[in-house]
Parts: sequence; C-alpha cells; structure tokens
Amino acid sequence: MKWILFFGALIGPSICGRGKFFGDQVFRINVRNGDEISKLNELMKSDNLKLNFWKSPCSLGHPVDVLVPAVSLQPVEFFLKSQGLDYSVTIEDLQALLDKEDEEMQYNKEQERSSNNFNYGAYHSLEAIYQEMDSIAGDFPDLASRVKIGHSFENRPMYVLKFSTGKGSQRPAIWLNAGIHSREWISQATAMWTARKIVSDYGKDPAITSILEKMDIFLLPVANPDGYVHTHTENRLWRKTRSLHPGSPCIGVDPNRNWNASFAGKGASGNPCSEVYHGPHANSEVEVKSVVDFIQQHGDFKCFIDLHSYSQLLMYPYAYTAKEAPDADELDEVARRAAEALASLSGTQYRVGSSATTVYQASGSSVDWAYDNGIKYAFTFELRDTGHYGFLLPADQIIPTAEETWLGLKTIMEHVRDHLY
Amino acid sequence: MQPLPQALPAPGPGGPRPAAPLLALLLLLALRGSAAAPAGSEGPQGSAAAPEGPQDSAWQRDSELPHGLLQRAARAALHFFNFRAGSPSALRGLAAVQQGRAWINSKKECQVDLEFTTEHYNPEEGEERLGKCSAQVFFKNEKPRPTINVTCTRFMEKSKRQQEDYLLYKHMKQLKDPLDVISIPDSHGHIDPSLRPIWDLAFLGSSYVMWEKTTQFLHYYMAQLSSVKQWKTDEDAIDFDYTVLLHEFSTQEIIPCRIHLVWHPSKPLKVKYHCQGPQAPEEASGIEEGSAAAPTTGLTNY
Repeated sequence: MKWILFFGALIGPSICGRGKFFGDQVFRINVRNGDEISKLNELMKSDNLKLNFWKSPCSLGHPVDVLVPAVSLQPVEFFLKSQGLDYSVTIEDLQALLDKEDEEMQYNKEQERSSNNFNYGAYHSLEAIYQEMDSIAGDFPDLASRVKIGHSFENRPMYVLKFSTGKGSQRPAIWLNAGIHSREWISQATAMWTARKIVSDYGKDPAITSILEKMDIFLLPVANPDGYVHTHTENRLWRKTRSLHPGSPCIGVDPNRNWNASFAGKGASGNPCSEVYHGPHANSEVEVKSVVDFIQQHGDFKCFIDLHSYSQLLMYPYAYTAKEAPDADELDEVARRAAEALASLSGTQYRVGSSATTVYQASGSSVDWAYDNGIKYAFTFELRDTGHYGFLLPADQIIPTAEETWLGLKTIMEHVRDHLY
Repeated sequence: MQPLPQALPAPGPGGPRPAAPLLALLLLLALRGSAAAPAGSEGPQGSAAAPEGPQDSAWQRDSELPHGLLQRAARAALHFFNFRAGSPSALRGLAAVQQGRAWINSKKECQVDLEFTTEHYNPEEGEERLGKCSAQVFFKNEKPRPTINVTCTRFMEKSKRQQEDYLLYKHMKQLKDPLDVISIPDSHGHIDPSLRPIWDLAFLGSSYVMWEKTTQFLHYYMAQLSSVKQWKTDEDAIDFDYTVLLHEFSTQEIIPCRIHLVWHPSKPLKVKYHCQGPQAPEEASGIEEGSAAAPTTGLTNY
C-alpha cells in the first residue's frame, strides 16, 4: 500500500498553538471480516500518520477506535473510503471535548460550599454568598457582624455586613452598595472580595485600620436578592426587582430609579415593561425602602458608594440633572485620585465626571438620594469592562477587578476619614 | 480652527497623545475634502451626503459636546468599519476617544468629527498594538443608520489577515454542528476556546446590525449569542443563522436580533437581520419606538 505513505507525506500546514489535540478526531471503524482487519493493520503500521489506536484491530465484532491527528485526516479518510471500510467519526474535535471537561471540573470546584472553599474568583449563588457572609462574621466576631436590614419582595433576607471597632458606640459610617442591578454580577462578586479584604487587612494595612478606627463600614453585597436569584434560574440578563404590579403582565421595577431624588423625572420610564421603570412611587420597592430606613435611622452616614457594571466609570452627583452639585469640585478631585489609584494596578482606565454629563440623565438614583440627604461623599462605580463581555464578565477577571477597585475605594474612604463633617 | 480640547484621560498603554493637533486638523480637512457618500446610494455608506460643517452657516458648533456623544459616534464608526472589513480575525475594539467636535443644525442633525484609538478585539498573548482612526459620523435627527466616513491605520498586514481568516474558516468547517450550544458566553462569561470563532463571526454580523441601529441617543453592545439556528459548512461559505442579545444604551433594554450571514474569507459578507421591537410602547421620552426594520441585505465590496 505505497500510496498510504504517499498521502501521509502530503501533510498539510498544521494548525498549531491552540491545545495539543486541536482539530484531532476519533474514528470508530467497524471491522466486518478478516480482510478488513489486515487492511487496518496496514494503517497501523504507517508511522508518519501518527495514528493512535485506542483499541487495536484484533478481533471481529469489536469496533476499533483510533485517534487521528488533524493533519492526517485527509489521507486516513481517503484510505478508509477507498478500501470500503465502514467507519464513523465519534469525536469531531478532541481538544474541544477536553476543554469542555476542564471547564466543567472548574465549575464543579467552584460549587463547593464549605466556608473554607468559597472561591473569590468565581460567581456564586445567593445562598453561597449569604453563607460566606456568615462565615466572615464568624471568623472575625470582634470586627464583623451580619445584620438583617429587611427582606425582598419574594421574602428573602437582605443581609449587610457591618465592620466596626466601635464596640457598640455609633460612629460616622460608610455605605457600600452592590448588586442593585442583578445582572451586573461583577458588582456582587467585587463586594464579597472586598468584605474578605477588609477583615483580612484590618490590623495589617494602615489605611483600612485607621479608617476603621474612626468609622464603621456597612456592606450590602446583594441589594436585589430576588433579581439575583432570577439571573441564576431563569434569565441571566435580568436587571430589575421581581415585584408584581396589578394591571400589568410585566414584572419588576428598576431599583436605581426608585429612590426619592427627582423621582419619575427624566431618564426613567412610567412603563412597567421598561428596564428603567421607576415604579408606582418612590421607595415602592421594599429592597430600596429597607436601605433608606436603615440609613435614616442611623443618621450619621458620610459616604455612600454604589457598585455597578459595566463601562469603567467613576461618577458623582447628579444623575437627575446636568446642573453641578455644590460639592462637585471636591468630589471630582477625589474621584480623579481614586481613578488614578485604581489604574495604578493594571492600567485599567476609568472616566470621571458627574453621572448626567458622563453617561446620561437618570432620575431616582441611590447616589443622588444619598447626596441630597446629607451624605456628601456619594459615588457610583461602573466596573469592568467597556463592552467586550459587558455583563458576562469572565470569572477570571473578578479578582483583578476587585483588587484594583479596592485601591479606588480606599482613596475615597481615606479622604472621608480625613474630612469628617 | 482648533479642535475643542476635552478633559479626556491619557489614551492608555499606547503612550502619550500623539503630537500636533495640527496634524489632526490637516487630516480632518483632507477627509472633508474627500468624497462623502453620494446622495441616494443604498450601499453601506448610507443615503445622505455628509454636510460641510463650519462652512455651512446652518450649522452651529455644539459647545456642550457630551462625552457620551463622542463615544457613541466612535462605536458606530467602528461597527461600520468592522462590518466593511468583513474579517473576523481582524476585528477592532474601541480603546479611547482622543478628540472630537460636533455640529448641530436647525433640523437637529448632528455631525461628529473624531479621532480614536482601537485595539485588537482578540489580542494575542501580550499584544498591545493600538490602531488609530479618524471618522466623520453624521446622525440624522433621532433616526438610526448614521452616515460614516472612517479611515484607520493598518493594523495587520493584509496577507496575515487573509491567512488568519482562512485558518478560522478551515477551523469552522471542521466544527461539530453547534446547534446544541446555548449561550456564548455562558453565565460565567466563559467561551469555550473552540467556539471562539463562532463568537467572532457572530460579532462581525452583529456589527452591521449595531451600526444600523445606532442614533445620537442610542448605542449597542453585543451581550450574548443566545442561540444558533443553523450552521452550514458543507458548501463553500459558512452559512450562519443565529440570535444575539444586544444591550441598548441608554434604555438598558435587551434586544434579541435574529441574524443570518454568509461568510467566505475572500468574498463579500452578506447579512440579513430582524430585531424584536420593544415589548410595549414607550412613554414619550425621546427613545426610538416601534417595530424593527424589515430584513435588510447589506453587501460589502471591501
């Protein structure tokens, strides 16, 4: 069979660099008689085709599996066809299969749910997040506690982590808000990493230690629990709450248009089916009301930061109007320094400005409400990326995003610490 | 006339802003001198001639120049550029807007002249090359399909690009029928490396759609490839019928679009599409309403 060698020699340009088995296929050959066995044995002998017989052609009734490298596909197919051998392709791309398995294993590892195994570089269910919050509080009982501030429309608890060295006495406080729009998964994930970072670095990093000597930090990683669960179970791109409205088939209110700051003004919609539906009235959403009530009862918040994605922006009030906020100059200066600190880690560029002039006008936002209620240091982060993956940011960017964002957050918190009013 | 200096951040890893606003000015003047799309043409360049700008007294300089407008114009120009290039291995993403200016006329039509940098959509290991583009984008009053003139510095040698496209094409022809693949990327943002070419090809087709839908108030990102209806490779070209979810700024809506494209590395790209309209009528808020365009065929002669 000279021409096996001939065709074998016609090895075309290889497609290299993407995994050892890229483009390789597995053929299953049905051997029906002794003659076919000998033909296959010929094939086996040809070294330069680099075939890998997973099962040898030894007996009738047992199909033969052979791994054929991409470069040998043509000569092998030609041989099999011309010799009248009965075969089928059982694996059309071995590398793809291996990659998929790797992915699944990775995914399964990330699903492990004991507190020692919460992988901060992965996305998690609401349950897993709540459990980890509990673990953090359990691991650092003198510093952190998990506080229930209310419940969602579908009656899920709203949990906040409180970081305090004040031993019961109330201090001026910072509010870190995350996950108000459920599809922005990098927000909840960054919040969880930040929670762990705060407890780990207290007593070691001078910045966070001095901040916590003077102030308390409240962190709400999932401001919209119902929406978050919905993104896991039904619709990955769900944004709003899951509240029902009599008279409309559409569900949910945009929780970041529902605050009492120029409520129902420009940049929000009165249509229940819209992604920016402001709701029937301000604070109609129990998720929003829970936060409003808590902050108002506390009475001494100095800073409110809301984490969103995507676009890589760091913004300050106002969103509901293009007019300058009274503290715009100071807020702009702080935001610029925070963006620089953020960029210093990996070069990630954020644009800085007031919300209305940087993106678009939007009424009823959390940050505007905070600002108009005496919380001067009010900022919105739009985290990575700038649109390539958008909401579906790959999990391997969680830790880099959280690490750089931390530098920005610290810059702001340090400024607040040094400018308490 | 000097370009309006914008408080824009440094252009990223490419280094300091290139010298000479003068150079930019000369380039823009040269661009304006070159032919705009002929009126009434149905090709990818749109149907209206771009106005002259400052020479025409009906135009007023838009001194407010919301940064969002420059970004939208840059993205529209890039979508158009990517579509016209028809090359899934040479797709470009927006790096940074460097400078721009806008004019508005009494009919509320808006022309934007701008310069921006681009990066390789699929950068190789350690690749940080930046490309540069100049564009004129003309928005009709709240109507989509802006007229675009765009020139970009060459990113990749033509022969290399053709080679990469051909390799992609060969790989795609060998792919197992991905009809059972749902959602690229998956919820965790993961794209199986062997399926990456499908994403790139989907993005190429979506670029046409996103360009056509962009207005001065609305722009788009491709959020997810949500299903593959057909993937035919037995003929000469790749025949790809799929649905993408587009993310619409600033309404925040997710728009499903059914796209059908036919691609072969050395032939013009053919795209047909149909996007779903909004679920229910919008309130009067300046957002474009109504059912999507009838299926449109676009051809490129690149």
